[in-house]
Amino acid sequence: MTVLRRRSNLLTVAMLVFLLYSFFPLFWLFISSTKTTGDLFSTFGLWFGHRFALISNIRLALTYSHGEYLRWLLNTLIYSVTSAVGAACLATFSGYGFAKYTFAGRNALLAAVLGTIMVPVTALAIPTYFLFSKVGLVDTPWAVILPSLVSPFGFFLMWVYARDAVNDSIMDAARIDGAGEMAIFFRVSLRSLAPGFVTVVLFTLVATWNNYFLPLIMLSDSKYFPITVGLSVWESETAGGGGSNSALTSMVVTGAMLSVIPLIVAFIFLQRYWQSGLSAGAVKE
Amino acid sequence: MQIPEKRFTRRGMLALTGAAAAGLAIDACSSSSSSSGATATASGTVSQSEINKAMKTPTTLTFWTWVPDISKEVAVFERQYPAIKINVVNPGQGTPLYTKLRTALDAGKGTPDLSQIEYQYIPTFSILKGFVDLRPYGAAANAGKFVDWVWRQVTGPNGEIYAYPQDTGPMGMLYREDIFAKHRISVPATWDDFATAAHKLHAADSGTYLTNTADNEVAAWHGLMWQAGSRPYTVHGTTVGLALDDAASKKVANYWGGLVADGVISTDPDFTSNWYQGLDTGKYASWLTGAWGPAFLAGAIKSTAGKWRAAPLPQWNSGQQVAGNWGGSTNAVIKGTQYPIAAAKFAEFLNTNPTTTAMFNTQQSLFPSLKSLLSSASFSSYKSPFFGGQQANKLFAQISATVNVNWQWPPFLDQSITDWTATVGKALGSKSNVAAATTQWESQLASYAKAQGFHVTTS
Amino acid sequence: MSRPANQVLGSRLAAGSPPPASSAPQRGRRRVRARRGRYGYVFALPFLACFALLFVLPLGYALYRSLFKTQLVGGTVFAGLANYTQALTDGQFLAGVSRVALFFVMQVPLMLVLALVAALAIDSGLLRLARLTRLGIFIPYAVPGVVAALMWGYLYGPDFGPAAQLAAKLHVTAPDFLGRTLMLPSIANIVTWEFTGYNMIVLYAALRTVPRELYEAAAVDGAGPWRIAWRIKVPALRPALLLTLMFSVIGSFQLFTEPDLLQSVAPTVIGPSYTPNLYAYSLAFTSQEPDYAAAVSFLLGLVTVIISYAVLYGASRRSRR
Repeated sequence: MTVLRRRSNLLTVAMLVFLLYSFFPLFWLFISSTKTTGDLFSTFGLWFGHRFALISNIRLALTYSHGEYLRWLLNTLIYSVTSAVGAACLATFSGYGFAKYTFAGRNALLAAVLGTIMVPVTALAIPTYFLFSKVGLVDTPWAVILPSLVSPFGFFLMWVYARDAVNDSIMDAARIDGAGEMAIFFRVSLRSLAPGFVTVVLFTLVATWNNYFLPLIMLSDSKYFPITVGLSVWESETAGGGGSNSALTSMVVTGAMLSVIPLIVAFIFLQRYWQSGLSAGAVKE
Repeated sequence: MQIPEKRFTRRGMLALTGAAAAGLAIDACSSSSSSSGATATASGTVSQSEINKAMKTPTTLTFWTWVPDISKEVAVFERQYPAIKINVVNPGQGTPLYTKLRTALDAGKGTPDLSQIEYQYIPTFSILKGFVDLRPYGAAANAGKFVDWVWRQVTGPNGEIYAYPQDTGPMGMLYREDIFAKHRISVPATWDDFATAAHKLHAADSGTYLTNTADNEVAAWHGLMWQAGSRPYTVHGTTVGLALDDAASKKVANYWGGLVADGVISTDPDFTSNWYQGLDTGKYASWLTGAWGPAFLAGAIKSTAGKWRAAPLPQWNSGQQVAGNWGGSTNAVIKGTQYPIAAAKFAEFLNTNPTTTAMFNTQQSLFPSLKSLLSSASFSSYKSPFFGGQQANKLFAQISATVNVNWQWPPFLDQSITDWTATVGKALGSKSNVAAATTQWESQLASYAKAQGFHVTTS
Repeated sequence: MSRPANQVLGSRLAAGSPPPASSAPQRGRRRVRARRGRYGYVFALPFLACFALLFVLPLGYALYRSLFKTQLVGGTVFAGLANYTQALTDGQFLAGVSRVALFFVMQVPLMLVLALVAALAIDSGLLRLARLTRLGIFIPYAVPGVVAALMWGYLYGPDFGPAAQLAAKLHVTAPDFLGRTLMLPSIANIVTWEFTGYNMIVLYAALRTVPRELYEAAAVDGAGPWRIAWRIKVPALRPALLLTLMFSVIGSFQLFTEPDLLQSVAPTVIGPSYTPNLYAYSLAFTSQEPDYAAAVSFLLGLVTVIISYAVLYGASRRSRR
């Protein structure tokens, strides 16, 4: 029997309003990156300025100071993708373990992990720096990647997710067929865990992409900087920087806009994995 | 999470001048470097032969600085001393660099051989014994080359020389000639004149203010206190005298507090979009700023080109010429370096060599601290188009000579900045009693200093 | 491979609950199950090891540091719990705590309701452009802090922001978004803008695990999409909702980034101790008091734990209805 699905206009309008609210500041970002620095401070913020300078802004941002933006972009890419995939793997593996298996101390460990993340990480920055400098990891990419591999939020997400997404009876059926636990994980459960895995990848990708505090503390050499730190270096150069850096503010804005694009692309690319849940005959948009 | 960039250092303290790029001839004599022939003066110094040997030993020095494109000046040094390679690292401007430096000093690892340090942060690091005394490396011979007050800033209580001055930011007044002309305001020579002009201007046009006293700009405020003759901090080792509400400071506070309360001066935080737009639209008719201000304006607010002029700060006493300073940096050799001789000589070369110092001015628009450069013809005669052809360099060079020599910074500047913003800044923004706020500022800072183990005397 | 709805439901409810107690003849099976259960350690180990090394170790060191006092003059001395007692009587710390508590009460319910509605809407199939909505609501989370600072500094600007300019045209005074009274709501707005999408995604991903057969069964019984949403989806989302609530408690009490980015445009409203986390930060990096900062951080952690338990307890009480 086909279910007649009427699109709700009320809901659509409500969501559209919400969409506008979400996009509104980004619209500002886009508009601002089409302006020169002069226009930025003299024209109405939500519409174009006197000159359309998007192309020249982009060119300037990408070539300034021997193309350091591109180096920063590469750094950010490496840090984020490595951390995202790594963190998602760790979180999925352990979330699954906690969700599907009963073992002594499970609840205690869960409580301990939860309790730990209630302490703000500001307290961790200097001690982590000290520990890393003892092993000589400071001012290396590892100083940024390693801490990002641990995503307690990702872990809890996968724990909650795995409980519902992976069917116990399917697991039992596989056991009866003689499969080992690891085999069950990789061949049976993983498919159901895919949407959650993708979610953690996405979240960690964004979090590491936008991470500012950790790389700022750990890195001294600008060749290792991610975009966030790099942009703030530019931004601080605009105020009282050399007279030759007159266009820096518009560059900061353009650089920021450019840095959001890969995340959007990643999102569009990853979101199709949400479609493949365990649902057969899913409700299609 | 973000580290807030302290407004004090944000202006990069790269003292700039309207002499950007083209049109400036560099005085010749590039090859005679003043450093290689450095004579060992003070006793217990490193001998010339040791120096020569060090300069010929293959060495790599790590140099933390945020001056853009400094590799050009560094190249001049490397050509002269090919055995020494400089690894230039930009760890961020101001606060990020200082944070990293502090953490590295604490950890005992990861410190650079040299670092850029702004004048106001020198005591913060000297108390941590973060600097190598440069006296054994012939630094004292350079004393006479620099403007007096600048040299005072880099010397310690027992004559230690902590760093070589690079650039400065003597304060002047940049004003909008067109707005002054429109409302028939003559350039105020004294603060009384300034106050009168402020009332007149605002009465004529309620959307315009004679100037903006930013409620977050503690550096400018210190500069004004400096000009007024205030001596808020006196430091002798671990004894700190605090006089944040001395007579001069109260004078400054009452003056500005009054104008703000009358509503004729605005107090918008500076270096925000709002403030930039204010400058662009002519909301502020003048800006009391350092010698780097002109180049900054030329870059940021292009639409107002040609409308600005420069003048000295208004004076407290008619006929006087005294100024304060806002900004500027030095290069210091950091404790823990394996190559103190090479590092010391590099710092000396970079900041005393005629070629490199001239380049600092023409390439990066840094305002000089060397007497010879300040008085050179090419420097003084430059006519700035942004300033309608005015010889802004010459004016600021004159101002530089009038900066009060007696000024010290505290070994806990960051805390002072925070306390100022919470007391004086807040009073400015809310139009309440600014003079009383200075006393609060002092008491907050005093209790901090005591908790940190300093012996504190208050006025 | 479709199963009757109630069987599916049964197994879903059973998932996550411990196996029932067994009688003597089944002891053998129990042992097998226990051994199998211990396999969980294998899965859990990689994460826990990294967690111990990269989180617990630095935290432990920070905890150790919090028992000392470092002075600029005089070095480091052992201080026991002095830092903690100082923090408990520190007006700045306490004010910060009450401020984030107020923030939590004000902002979190609103944001979670919005996220829930959005997730349900997108999942319901009633929405045109559902994919775009999903992307659009999430995008704010992807905007880095540097940009957000510039953006909101402009949007809230007292002279040149759009609200201000509109108000000027209409000859009214615009609300002072960056003033003392409106600052917390202004921050709440930014946080809602940033994180509704994040929470929506979490809920949406959880919704995707609900077997479609349940909906079909309900539709057969005559339930419309709104009924289905209320009766089936929302209950199914309980664990995910609790998770987002937990995250939000932590996020609210650890509030740092948003006030920090507004500090440059409103420096006299947002002082160094506006929130406890900001306070810990300024203690460590401005006032050079890292040991006290560590104590403040741990105390904040304790407060967060207490509030989380209170919230969880409240939530589970409600569900027992």
